[in-house]
Amino acid sequence: MEFFQEEEEEHPEQKGCCAFLTVQYYQPYFNVSEDDVIDRIKASFLPFRKDFHERVAGNPDLWGPLWISATIIFLITAVANINQMNFEGQTTYSVDYVPQSAALLYCISFGTPVILTIVMKILGSDIRFFHTVCLYGYSMSILMPITILCVLRNSYVQWCLVGYGMISSSSFLIMGMRKILGDLEQAKRYIIVGIVLAMQFSLYLLYKLVFFKVIEKNSTE
Amino acid sequence: MTDNHPFGSGMFQGQAKFVDYAHMNQQEVQVNTLDEPVLDTLLRDINMILYKLSYVIIPRMKETQGRKLRNWDLWGPLLLSLLLAMTLGINSNQSSDTIFGTIFIIMWGGSAVITVNAKLLGGQVSFFQSVCVLGYCVFPINVAAVVITFLQSYFGFFLRLIIVGVAFLWSTFSSLSFMSSMMNEEKKVISVYPIFLFYMFLSWFCIFI
Repeated sequence: MEFFQEEEEEHPEQKGCCAFLTVQYYQPYFNVSEDDVIDRIKASFLPFRKDFHERVAGNPDLWGPLWISATIIFLITAVANINQMNFEGQTTYSVDYVPQSAALLYCISFGTPVILTIVMKILGSDIRFFHTVCLYGYSMSILMPITILCVLRNSYVQWCLVGYGMISSSSFLIMGMRKILGDLEQAKRYIIVGIVLAMQFSLYLLYKLVFFKVIEKNSTE
Repeated sequence: MTDNHPFGSGMFQGQAKFVDYAHMNQQEVQVNTLDEPVLDTLLRDINMILYKLSYVIIPRMKETQGRKLRNWDLWGPLLLSLLLAMTLGINSNQSSDTIFGTIFIIMWGGSAVITVNAKLLGGQVSFFQSVCVLGYCVFPINVAAVVITFLQSYFGFFLRLIIVGVAFLWSTFSSLSFMSSMMNEEKKVISVYPIFLFYMFLSWFCIFI
């Protein structure tokens, strides 16, 4: 499949029609150590430095996207339950956050790269699929401190945190795709930037509205 | 009792005696199992499960002593996951089926993903052995859940936190004593972190029963 031509040339175990269904196909994307992962996460918190792109260069990894999202799912479940607990003194415990947050996070962090890759290939740019997946996965890491800080039950503070998260992750993504965007024409660039921003906006909006709705003290809920 | 059995003559001598199947190797067990009474089969399996649980309760750091656990079985993890999911489901007032489903999927899906992760990071881990070990090591969390369920009125929030915390540390330590020998040396932290997250996730639900 010509979509993955560059990856196939670099990694011989990825040849074959259904190679992506085997476990060995993903072996090259786990060549990182804990120091690498921590460096990449730190680089994702500071979007305007060029660190991330240099660190990832030839070695995108899948460990980060997978387990950062899993950690965030756990943190969302924990913090959202703590928020509900403190309020009434009793624990009204909602397990629904687990499938909802899993769907939201994994769809955005794996689905958006699929959409972007398809669109970019149609527009004629050479985008590396796994590099984009890696970029998206690490862009989620800003949600970790945001979720922990959302223990504070002030609506204003929560909106500020969510707003900061959106700006930070969007700029991280756009800086990460700078080189690829530079090769495109002006109008096509706006399409891609538009897609990225729209997805990030919907992610953060849903995040705030679904998991951290603040219950008014007078309601009987 | 095997004297009357049509296929039994010559295979078993006299009454069924309690054979220590947990210490036999796989081949010896295969030959004898077809004709035995159902009670023997059940007792043998239960004995094997209890034997493995004893390894979980007293984690042994030396790898040679854990070798018996290489005979993996999935009965133990199944029983433990059902027990945990039911215990947590009974106590919630609403959506007990969601809780049951969530715990079940987290446990089995989580074990599978952790094992694939360890394999991709270069560890020498066999898939079913690893799923078996991770499943058995949920036992302390199970005990904590049952204890909290039945003694609910006596426990304040902080006592629950302590009990669940102890269970979580016990589970993690116990599974690490088996898994760490199979992981890739250089990538130990990123192989082990998912296990930590897995048990943390399961323990978290116990606090909020």
